[in-house]
Amino acid sequence: MEAIRHTQKKYASRAMVAGICVALILILAGYRTLGKGVMLGAVFSVINFVLIGATLPFNAGRSRKQATAVSFGSIIFRYAILAFPLVIAARGKSFDFAATAVGIFMVQIVILSEHAWKMIPLIVHKRS
Amino acid sequence: MNMATDFEPIIRLSAYIGGGIAMGLGAVGAAIGEGYTAAEANMAVSRNPKISGDIFKNMLVGQAVAESASIFALVIAILLLFLETPSAGELKAAALFGAGLCMGFGAIGSGVGSGFPGGNACSGISRQPAATSRLTTNMLIGSAVCQTPAIFSMVVALMLIFMDFGKAPTFPTWAALIGAGVSTGLAAIGSGYGGGLAAGASCEGIARQPESVGNVTTIMLVGQAVAQTPSIFGLLVSFVLLFKSFPESTALSASMALLAAGLSTGFGGIGPGIGNGMAAEGAVRWVARNTEHAGDLMRTMLVGQAVSQSTAIYAMVISLILIFVV
Repeated sequence: MEAIRHTQKKYASRAMVAGICVALILILAGYRTLGKGVMLGAVFSVINFVLIGATLPFNAGRSRKQATAVSFGSIIFRYAILAFPLVIAARGKSFDFAATAVGIFMVQIVILSEHAWKMIPLIVHKRS
Repeated sequence: MNMATDFEPIIRLSAYIGGGIAMGLGAVGAAIGEGYTAAEANMAVSRNPKISGDIFKNMLVGQAVAESASIFALVIAILLLFLETPSAGELKAAALFGAGLCMGFGAIGSGVGSGFPGGNACSGISRQPAATSRLTTNMLIGSAVCQTPAIFSMVVALMLIFMDFGKAPTFPTWAALIGAGVSTGLAAIGSGYGGGLAAGASCEGIARQPESVGNVTTIMLVGQAVAQTPSIFGLLVSFVLLFKSFPESTALSASMALLAAGLSTGFGGIGPGIGNGMAAEGAVRWVARNTEHAGDLMRTMLVGQAVSQSTAIYAMVISLILIFVV
């Protein structure tokens, strides 16, 4: 489980840094509600990612049907938490809804960006 | 919500039902996909317990990306529950219900499909630990492309939520709006699932023959792109139903023709999406075993997909006849 903690720490910290940077840029540019929305979404994206790791031990060592049932329960629980920033953004005017929706994908964006970044030298090398 | 008083209860009712359908169906696909990934990870750990850390890491990253489709559904569901629709007419009720159907159905295929690369990558890592990095990268590419049909569904759902249908006649436009939702939503099921089959086979192929990664990834991407075609047909019919002006008609047949147009391309796209994915799965699996004949395998795959696609084209032709002729 040390490997999981290491992976979670790596992507969670990067997602938070990315969220803070994007939010700061937007706030300094005068888009305060957008920046706050991205930050709010990013925080809950990280919480969701940490919870995925926390539920992994419940999946391990079970049959496919049991793993599917545990995943379904885990999704419902985590999505109830993910819904929280979206509800706040939808009901109030302090946070932009679209920016909050983008923010809750921050971990996924960081994971895909990291691997896309790694591929660039390989593509350049292949072409040369 | 701040809605026109007369229609407020019916709009609210439609939005709540739409939100429930979007999230309820949206959770199904991702749960099955994540369950598949977890089950394959269990098998992988039992085969090679020494690298269980790498397998769990891959499973964690794979599951995080695989659940994107259901997060799209969550965003649409929350929008439907809490969005303010000022001065909305009765057509808004049909539009919001259609948006829920579109996103709910649209997230199923992508959710299930994106579980396949995650599971097969875990299995592949246990067989070929040296290829872990390549497998993870390929898994993420395959899984991300699987989300495309769900993104199409989200786009149509957002259009249904935010477009103004105030000037359109209620009859038969209400049916066109629901038809637009089901057309993209249902068609996305096959494409998402089929794309996942190709991505899963590519991870298996790379684990078998790590040097074949270039050919395998290329054929996977081409195969996935063609597998998306039925959902593009669904999107096309949705756009026609959303943007075409229909003359007012209280005849039930006029409304049913537009609803049937959406159902035709929607249901008609499920089989071809899965079939195209199977063709791509076969090509990707076998190119890893025989990289010298990658060109032949690609051609065979494309011909097979083109033929498999024909039933989706028939369904789309019927939809266009229902919209423009009947």
